Amino acid sequence: MNVYSITLAGPAPWGFRLQGGKDFSMPLTVSRLTPGGKAAQAGVGVGDWVVSIAQLNAEDMTHVEAQNQIRAATDSLSLSLSR
Amino acid sequence: MDPYDMDDDDDQIYMQQEDSWDRDMLLDPAWEKQQRKTFTAWCNSHLRKAGTQIDNIEEDFRDGLKLMLLLEVISGERLAKPERGKMRVHKISNVNKALGFIASKGVKLVSIGAEEIVDGNAKMTLGMIWTIILRFAIQDISVEETSAKEGLLLWCQRKTAPYKNVNIQNFHISWKDGLGFCALIHRHRPELIDYAKLRKDDPMTNLNTAFDVAEKYLDIPKMLDAEDIVGTARPDQKAIMTYVSSFYHAFSGAQKAETAANRICKVLAVNQENEQLMEDYEKLASDLLEWIRRTVPWLENRAPENTMQAMQQKLEDFRDYRRLHKPPKVQEKCQLEINFNTLQTKLRLSNRPAFMPSEGKMVSDISGAWGGLEGAEKGYEEWLLNEIRRLERLDHLAEKFRQKAAIHEAWTHGKEEMLQHLDYETASLSEIKALLKKHEAFESDLAAHQDRVEQIAAIAQELNELDYYDSPSVNARCQRICDQWDGLGAMTHKRSEALQRTEKLLETIDQLYLEFAKRAAPFNNWMEGAMEDLQDTFIVHTIEEIQGLSTAHEQFKATLPEADKERQAILGIHNEIAKIVQTYHVNIAGCNPYTAINPQEVNNKWDKVRQLVPQRDQALIEEHARQQNNERLRRQFANQANVIGPWIQTKMEEIGRISIEMHGTLEDQLTHLRQYEKNIVNYKPKIEQLEGDHQLIQGALIFDNKHTNYTMEHIRVGWEQLLTTIARTINEIENQILTRDAKGISQEQMNEFRASFNHFDRKRTGMMDAEDFKTCLISMGYSLGEAEFSRIMSIVDPNRLGVVTFQAFIDFMSRETADTDTADQVVASFKVLAGDKSYILADELRRELPPDQAEYCIARMAPYSGPDGAPGALDYMSFSTALYGESDL
Repeated sequence: MNVYSITLAGPAPWGFRLQGGKDFSMPLTVSRLTPGGKAAQAGVGVGDWVVSIAQLNAEDMTHVEAQNQIRAATDSLSLSLSR
Repeated sequence: MDPYDMDDDDDQIYMQQEDSWDRDMLLDPAWEKQQRKTFTAWCNSHLRKAGTQIDNIEEDFRDGLKLMLLLEVISGERLAKPERGKMRVHKISNVNKALGFIASKGVKLVSIGAEEIVDGNAKMTLGMIWTIILRFAIQDISVEETSAKEGLLLWCQRKTAPYKNVNIQNFHISWKDGLGFCALIHRHRPELIDYAKLRKDDPMTNLNTAFDVAEKYLDIPKMLDAEDIVGTARPDQKAIMTYVSSFYHAFSGAQKAETAANRICKVLAVNQENEQLMEDYEKLASDLLEWIRRTVPWLENRAPENTMQAMQQKLEDFRDYRRLHKPPKVQEKCQLEINFNTLQTKLRLSNRPAFMPSEGKMVSDISGAWGGLEGAEKGYEEWLLNEIRRLERLDHLAEKFRQKAAIHEAWTHGKEEMLQHLDYETASLSEIKALLKKHEAFESDLAAHQDRVEQIAAIAQELNELDYYDSPSVNARCQRICDQWDGLGAMTHKRSEALQRTEKLLETIDQLYLEFAKRAAPFNNWMEGAMEDLQDTFIVHTIEEIQGLSTAHEQFKATLPEADKERQAILGIHNEIAKIVQTYHVNIAGCNPYTAINPQEVNNKWDKVRQLVPQRDQALIEEHARQQNNERLRRQFANQANVIGPWIQTKMEEIGRISIEMHGTLEDQLTHLRQYEKNIVNYKPKIEQLEGDHQLIQGALIFDNKHTNYTMEHIRVGWEQLLTTIARTINEIENQILTRDAKGISQEQMNEFRASFNHFDRKRTGMMDAEDFKTCLISMGYSLGEAEFSRIMSIVDPNRLGVVTFQAFIDFMSRETADTDTADQVVASFKVLAGDKSYILADELRRELPPDQAEYCIARMAPYSGPDGAPGALDYMSFSTALYGESDL
């Protein structure tokens, strides 16, 4: 397991599809990357788990909460992921 | 040689000098004159006795007759008959006779020949006369061993010594003052001269007085002239010597008388002295003898004294005697001897007969007596010392006796009480042993003291033998000691016996106590154990167990008679002890030192045991009954369980099979399953009943049941599992129906999915593990990398269970074959409702959707933050994606 952090420079879109959440009983994962998008450029991989969003633990977030958190980031987005 | 230098010191060789002087031919005319006068006077003084005289010295002697006469007078001897002839030869012959006589008197006449005298040679004649004078008047003078001239001089000096103003050193100048002559006269005949009146500076008077007196009273004719003496510087020696010698002879005659008188006096004095000495001797002798006579009895006294002090006093007295009283006596004796010897010597010397002491006072008597004294002394001293030694020894012995007796008495003090002490009557065994040891020690101590007692007796004996003055009291004490000693011996023996006897008894009792303890303790233990066992609560779960306990109990009961016998034996021991105590009146402290168990206790416990036995019987019987009951319950339960269990199992299998197999449509399966469900529900009472039995079993604390392998839990779990399974399976089927309907999967497709799934579900668990799934995918033509497979796994197994359920599998498969994304469909639907806007308004939602769903959407939708948004715009896209758990960000 390899945890890494990235900081994407805003604004959105960040170029990835988020799937899962506590309400879905699935971990938050990156299910798709927009080719050439910011996330893909930052080295994010398909299937990586999102561990934390803007230093907040993503383990117990519902999908909507995670979505809102990411939407809240305007200038830059800090993520910790694990693959 | 100068005649003036003639010194009196040369008198030793005077004669020779005289001769040599004679030879000198020098003759001082003054001296010649003096000499002539003096010599003439001298010759006349002698010739007078023969009745003749001379007038002229050189003439009158020429014929030698007067010469010979002179010689006869002065010598007192007869010469040869003189020649009567007148012829020269006769004269010469006579003179030769005279000279020969002189020579025969030992005088060497040198160069004096008869012819010169016959011829009238003045010098020769004078010389010859001088020789005669010298020889006959002076030569014989002897004063204190000094003779001749020196003697004469000495005599003068002696005689004139008392006269201070007279100093006679020579025969010339010393006589010039005349005091010498006066002194001489005065010395012998003091009444003739008043010497005090004489004065040194009047020599004439002195001389004349002396000459006159001499001539008148002493019959000494004047031979000297006062004027001549005073007138000449140095008077003629010879003249003076001649004159002085006359004095000597005159006085010595008187002297002789005096001497004779003296001798007589001396002799008489000696006699008197001797007589005195004899008297003294006698007195001394008798005193001494008296003293000896007194002393000897004292020395011979052998009366013994009793005490050392008295003897010491005697010794002291003896010492005093030896030191103070005897020495003077020794001295006296010595003195006596000396006196005797002296007396005898004196008598002998004075030609007297020896002294003969009176009877009993003889030397031998005295010696004898003295010897006796000394003998007595020695004997006395010896006796004193012996006595003192004896007394000393006696004192010493007496003291020794006293000391030893005292020590012994101190030791015996209290022993009698101790020996008669009855402490052993109330002593315990160990105390008795201690007392015995103590007694043994005492016995050996006693034995050790035996020889001390003997010593004391020996000393007493010795004191008796030595005749000690206080023997009676000593003997009495000794007797007391001996009697006491015998008494002690007897008492010791008695005590020893008593102690041993008591010891034996106590030992016996002790043995019995020990025996009692040895047997009572294990018996007591056994009883306590038995009591414990009999009261032991038991938990048994099987009939075998209770039967086992019953059997053990019966075995135990079988041992009771033996135990009782043991109890009797133990009590018997105790009784024996009591008997001994009573019989011998032994006073024991009362309790068994080896154990605290007493017979009473034993009996008590025994009774208790006896009581407990039937109690236990009862308990066992009860338990047995209970166990049997339990067994019944078990069987009941088992019977039921053995039916229910397999039934459940069967049902489970059947249900599983249904779900796995694909007979008929899903609806058919569902119907089938519902029927099963109903069956199962109908079966519930049976479970209930079983539960009831189980409760009974649990109430009866039965924990095992060998009649069945099924526990209630098993059944319960199985039942629940069955319920669950049936529900789940139904649910699954329903879901599959839904899925089929939703996704439009046909039955054939469904069967296909089922078949694949079954194929890869090798274990027939209704689930696939990851490997199976992978294989499955590969078989379906998917070429999967790890990442892709992971992704798929995460979709298919979101909960990370590691397994893929059939439902999930179907979902996945259907998703993959589906055309559209479900989320997109919803978004499209919303878009329609929003009139193709990218956002939707609340009113639009309320218009199109049922109220509660509309509110649901409004509440959950996030505000639209796009550039073209209107107030109240809601973001339906993110909402939709969020519904499916997918958001594009």
